[in-house]
Amino acid sequence: MGSSHPSAGGAADTPAEATAADVAARVRDTLEVVFEAVAETLADTTAVLTAAADRGTPPTTGDLAALRPGLEHRLGRLGLVSGIGFVAAPGLLADVPAWLEWWQSGADGTVRPLLLDLDPGHSAYSDYTHWDWYALPRDTGLRAVAGPYVDYLCSDEYSLTLSAPVTVGGAFAGVAAADVYLSHFEAAVMPVLRELPGPACLVNARGRVAVSTDTRYLAGSLLRGPDFAAVLTGPDGAADHYGARLRACGSIPIVLATAPAG
Amino acid sequence: MAQDVGGARRAVFAPVDTRARVDTVVRRLSDAIELGLLADGEQLPGESDLAAQLGVSTVTLREALMALRQQGLVTTRRGRGGGSFVTLPDAPAADRLHALLAAWSTDELRDLGDHWAAVSGAAARLAAQRTEPGDLRQLHRTLDELGEAADPPARSRMLGRFHVELAAAAQSARLTREAVGIQTDVGALLCLVLDRGLEEIRNRHRSVISAVQDGAHEQARALAEQCAEESVARLIGLRLAPPGTGGR
Repeated sequence: MGSSHPSAGGAADTPAEATAADVAARVRDTLEVVFEAVAETLADTTAVLTAAADRGTPPTTGDLAALRPGLEHRLGRLGLVSGIGFVAAPGLLADVPAWLEWWQSGADGTVRPLLLDLDPGHSAYSDYTHWDWYALPRDTGLRAVAGPYVDYLCSDEYSLTLSAPVTVGGAFAGVAAADVYLSHFEAAVMPVLRELPGPACLVNARGRVAVSTDTRYLAGSLLRGPDFAAVLTGPDGAADHYGARLRACGSIPIVLATAPAG
Repeated sequence: MAQDVGGARRAVFAPVDTRARVDTVVRRLSDAIELGLLADGEQLPGESDLAAQLGVSTVTLREALMALRQQGLVTTRRGRGGGSFVTLPDAPAADRLHALLAAWSTDELRDLGDHWAAVSGAAARLAAQRTEPGDLRQLHRTLDELGEAADPPARSRMLGRFHVELAAAAQSARLTREAVGIQTDVGALLCLVLDRGLEEIRNRHRSVISAVQDGAHEQARALAEQCAEESVARLIGLRLAPPGTGGR
């Protein structure tokens, strides 16, 4: 993994125990790097769409081709990211009804565009507007972490997708997003999770476990009970639930859940 | 001749770049088959190779292969020595579909149903443990679209999507890949039996969603198994119908 970290904390050879705050900060940092790539894509896209608006004609797929060098560069730079791009709101572009300007890196390191059939007359998978990575930023106006989910549209992998809304002149134009395979995310954050004195889980806003060191709660399972979304929007980004400590990972919509020590 | 054919054959597998990619892939391969550029019985490259050569996603390629199977231009054999093979057409498309079904023995159909029931049953059981209400919206929507679909091929695509989404709701990439693979087999055949009894099919599938939503694991599994078994039972009934009765 290109973005993997050395062992946590930077402290010397002693296997010091990490605190939950350290771990939450490290998870935050790991995903903020991905969100930076999303923000760069968002900025490039906004520039392309704004230029088209200034020109006075609707943008086309040809305009979006200008995004490609940046997308390829980000894919090459970030080992954690397996796919990146801009997903247009249906009706945004003049020459097609819908479009994903989406690039993926293969297992062999090659970078390829994702070419989906977006004609509902032929493909049962042509409408992408219901997926969380699209609907959450559209409906909230905020950046989102979608998943973990089985991405049978783009990669067939169990994945996280980090996305942010693109707006031009105040109107929603689509989302900028990046895919992180869950196996890669686990590899990036598991070392630091294991430095905690007890079992812990990283959980999304809906309570779905993304990474866990607790054999009772595996990735993909749901933790029912706590209101994880409330932890993320609460004033101090932390809460207790029957002895478990819930802590937001900065402003990333992921919660670290730790059992009481001892 | 050999060189010309070689150049033309390379063009068959060159990247496609238009929007309606499933249709483009289907048309290009079906033209190549009709023109004899691809020979009867010839094996097509593997799914991921073929998708990469054509520059389409595997989802798109699978849908194209399913459409080619529905036209009887490609047959797929599983297991050792398996793959997708070109079939030269010698009959109208509707007859080819019946010929496609006739190529399946009843025990192979039963086995296909067993596999489908195992995958969708396991998926439903796990989904009942792992699903939150938001995950079920898409399954409901698929059943709505199944009711609105214009013809049996479109209905078959929606029914297939339901089972793929069910496996995704189970949070299992492996079960989802299995579900996709099963649908490429069964999707072409189901066109033959989705001209009637659609409400019954939708109700049965809706009951799976309800059981998943209620967290009723075992009930969800049993109901999903019934969905697969009932669909395949229709196929076996048609397969056993006397020739010329149209399977009714």
